[in-house]
Amino acid sequence: MAKQSSYLPRLTRTWWLKHRYFKLYMAREATVLPLVFFIGCLLAGLYSLLQGTESWAGWLAFMAHPLVILLNCLALAASLFHAWTFFELFPRVMPLRVGTRTIPASFIVLGQWVGVVAVIALFAWILGSGS
Amino acid sequence: MSTKKLSIQRYLPEQEATPYWQEFEVPFDDSTSLLDALNYVKEELDGTLSYRWSCRMAICGSCGVMVNGIPKLGCKSFLRDYPDTLKISALSHFPVEKDLIVDMEVFLDHLAAVQPYLITNAAETDEPNRQTPAQLEKYKQFSDCINCGLCYSACPQFGLNQEFLGPAALTLAHRYNLDSRDQGKQQRMPQLNRHEGVWSCTFVGFCSQVCPKNVDPAAAVNQGKVESAKDMLISLFKG
Repeated sequence: MAKQSSYLPRLTRTWWLKHRYFKLYMAREATVLPLVFFIGCLLAGLYSLLQGTESWAGWLAFMAHPLVILLNCLALAASLFHAWTFFELFPRVMPLRVGTRTIPASFIVLGQWVGVVAVIALFAWILGSGS
Repeated sequence: MSTKKLSIQRYLPEQEATPYWQEFEVPFDDSTSLLDALNYVKEELDGTLSYRWSCRMAICGSCGVMVNGIPKLGCKSFLRDYPDTLKISALSHFPVEKDLIVDMEVFLDHLAAVQPYLITNAAETDEPNRQTPAQLEKYKQFSDCINCGLCYSACPQFGLNQEFLGPAALTLAHRYNLDSRDQGKQQRMPQLNRHEGVWSCTFVGFCSQVCPKNVDPAAAVNQGKVESAKDMLISLFKG
């Protein structure tokens, strides 16, 4: 605890505006906001599907609104940015070893991106063959 | 020899209740460290300036200060790398006693809390405690900490809550937990599992950026989260 003769400046609410590093950290944390909107859209879609044709058409019209498209594009960019930060941090949190050798971090990061591409390719194939 | 401006935050509680800034002009060349510059100020310009230092070679961890708002070791920062005035103040998030001297008691308390030493069940013998290079490699990076406290000044979570055990203490706990000669993990886990243990860390990661010994405390703390989660799951199944 601070003694009588010492002083301890308190951290202000704007502490994160002081460095680029902190701003990037806050950007990473803020990616949750557009993602919450996207999840809200998905849940509303499921709900309207249960409600019937009219409700579903209403949801489709809502999703086609330019502002909604813009927010969902933002959500996509935010999730990719978050994925990038997560993939970079992952090898530091879970260093993987094979026998006595540690797998280089760059391999793990690359592996995760390969996973992303594989999932996108799988969905593109499923959606492509369905139409 | 050219000169550079240092703006130093002074705090002299017996004279003024609040800190103030004082400017000094110091000569420098390519080899002048910030610590050299502070020594010049004290010897030639103002003998009342107070700061800590000892080894001059990034081993003792005494000369930590904020340089333009970023925690640095005075001996490892060079004036040549700063084109403008250097703004020097005491390490953030610690109570300032005088000028650039902070009270690190809270940090030392957190260090002691994680029992950062080998705990063994075996009876003491004169036999050497053998370890293979692979076993050493597991924790070696985390054992390079010099307790300089820069990571605490870089950590906003510690700035917001001084009860958070913080980067260096949690790193040392992890370092001993990873040591093949140690059997004290079960004694340390309750400290790591606390809210003020590993779970107060939000992986800002600035601690690892400022660490002068490349210890990567953010990695250690977050590896500690994995260990803490495992520990909690195991205790759940044990009932």
